Amino acid sequence: MNKELEHSFVEQLQKHQNIIHKVCRLYTNNADAHNDLFQEITIQLWRAYPKFRGDSKFSTWMYRVGLNTAITLYRKSKRRVNTQEFDSVEFKIKAEEYDDTEEQQLKLLYKAVHQLNDIEKALVFLYLEDKDYREISTTLGITEVNARVKMNRVKKKLKTILNP
Amino acid sequence: MDELELLKKDWKNTETKFESYSDSEIYPMMHKKSSSIVKTLFYISIGELVFWILASILPYLLSSTFREKLDKSYENPLFLGLSIFSYAVILLFIYLLFKSYKSISTTDSAKRLMESILRTRKVIKYYVLFNLSMIFLSIPLSFYFEYQENPEFHKVITEATTTQMLFVYGIIILVGAVFLIIIWLFYRLIYGILLKRLNRNYDELKKLEV
Repeated sequence: MNKELEHSFVEQLQKHQNIIHKVCRLYTNNADAHNDLFQEITIQLWRAYPKFRGDSKFSTWMYRVGLNTAITLYRKSKRRVNTQEFDSVEFKIKAEEYDDTEEQQLKLLYKAVHQLNDIEKALVFLYLEDKDYREISTTLGITEVNARVKMNRVKKKLKTILNP
Repeated sequence: MDELELLKKDWKNTETKFESYSDSEIYPMMHKKSSSIVKTLFYISIGELVFWILASILPYLLSSTFREKLDKSYENPLFLGLSIFSYAVILLFIYLLFKSYKSISTTDSAKRLMESILRTRKVIKYYVLFNLSMIFLSIPLSFYFEYQENPEFHKVITEATTTQMLFVYGIIILVGAVFLIIIWLFYRLIYGILLKRLNRNYDELKKLEV
């Protein structure tokens, strides 16, 4: 039974692993931290798996556990804090030589998103994943109205970071 | 164009850039040890439970004079009642801790998950507060007990001047206060570091409701 459970879990996780990668993409700044968080999310998913009854899609369930791990459970290592500081310094230099090419703009956008706080990142993540406000609100545990309000504030904040 | 729309367009293409893990890589990963704050919190609470239980039974096991005194003090119904009460409270706390750990679920919404973690931390906090108040209660109590049962001590106290008595009370209060501050700082440090980020994120979600 246990082997069966393991097998079905790994099979589904393997198929949907990009969801975890994308969470890591937003919440970490380097490969080590990325792998570290990936592993912690995998552990938490596996632990919660016996309770997964299939009344929601496996992928939907992954979003929730993945974000919960990134926002609440995961403990940052010292190394990561240092890289974050490094990134923001680099960002300031780059912002001065801002040019309009799309690639450059994207680079700056990703850096700007990395400057948001954990909750704001979660909103951006779910937005980028095309989740509607209902799902955003139930994932975070806030009302739909508040999710909208917060999302608008995040957009404004991103604008200010990009055009100080 | 909206910044986020531009990002979204690119976001869809990032999928191909990730290193894909194979089944055989995922198997060992899911069985590795977790380093989540819930786990750390769990170890801390177990440590605290063990510490306070040891603190209450070690003197009994190690010192025979203490054992004799304690055995004798159990003849006093107040003392016996208090001991039974404190063991009942320990059992109650073990039950409450177990229950609140069980209620921590990663499939809840982010806010609920944070709330259940903070609730667990509260259980531990109350347990520590209970132990501290028991210690404070036991200081005047043992003073009184000694006064009643020990004739020599009784004589010393009755013969002491008011200044001497005030001095004794002062010392007791001072020692108690220093002890309390040290423990309080210790807790601020442990939980402050551990739960700083969680508290910040929880506040961020709460802020939206106002």
